[in-house]
Amino acid sequence: MSSRRSRQSTAGVSSISDDQIIELVSKLRQLLPEIRDRRSDKVSASKVLQETCNYIRSLHREVDDLSERLSQLLATIDADSAEAAIIRSLIM
Amino acid sequence: MRSPFSLKQEFLKNWILGLQRCRSSKKNMSIFERKKVIKLSADVAVASARNGITCWSRALIADAVKEGNADKHLAEKILGPASERQPTEKVPVGAMAYNKRIRSKKIPKRSSVIRRTIKCAPQAARPSSIVKRLVGKRRQILRSLIPWGEFMNGVSLIEETLDYIILLRAQVDVMRSLASASKLVNLN
Repeated sequence: MSSRRSRQSTAGVSSISDDQIIELVSKLRQLLPEIRDRRSDKVSASKVLQETCNYIRSLHREVDDLSERLSQLLATIDADSAEAAIIRSLIM
Repeated sequence: MRSPFSLKQEFLKNWILGLQRCRSSKKNMSIFERKKVIKLSADVAVASARNGITCWSRALIADAVKEGNADKHLAEKILGPASERQPTEKVPVGAMAYNKRIRSKKIPKRSSVIRRTIKCAPQAARPSSIVKRLVGKRRQILRSLIPWGEFMNGVSLIEETLDYIILLRAQVDVMRSLASASKLVNLN
């Protein structure tokens, strides 16, 4: 009895995993600027992974560059200053 | 899933709060130090916007305050008093909503749940054909890019990646807006 149950749940988990993964990989594709603009549907999972890694690395670099720029632009990090209030109202 | 706009607001709010907590030490900071404060408070803020529900966000905060981390004190200052902080460990396995669908019907014993919290993911019973294609160097690289990625597998790795990218983009958008707004203010 228990072996039948476990066999069933094993099969259940792996077939759901397949569909889940297809769905997730396609969601990932939607997020990647490189691949999203291409018409072709035939993008391999490994290409998606590669683009994902590149994209994450570029986002990390951007955060770093922006932090650098912001530290030059913001004379102080006084969030109560008049400048901060103006900036906040511009963004929100 | 929350709309990207409210994520940005959440991030901005957390970020400003974190920066305010560092206000006292800021008078004569070098550009390098200021950059560090800005970046660390931004990273902590983006992780906090997730409120502890994803593995990567708990990882980011936990790593920031880990013993031996050079900027531990700065991170703690940014995070504020312990009472206001979010949980960073001991979270139910597969805390993200969609994982609940694929978990087996058997309710895990309490001890096994705690033992598995480090892993952050239910293990797939058997690697599917697609998962097999996601192995190798590329998967390793991806795991190295996501906080605590080395503890994630298969489905949860991709889910966490999706979430992480969405939050990173929100962070970049807000920081970029702030940079252009600051330039405008400085020009006057």
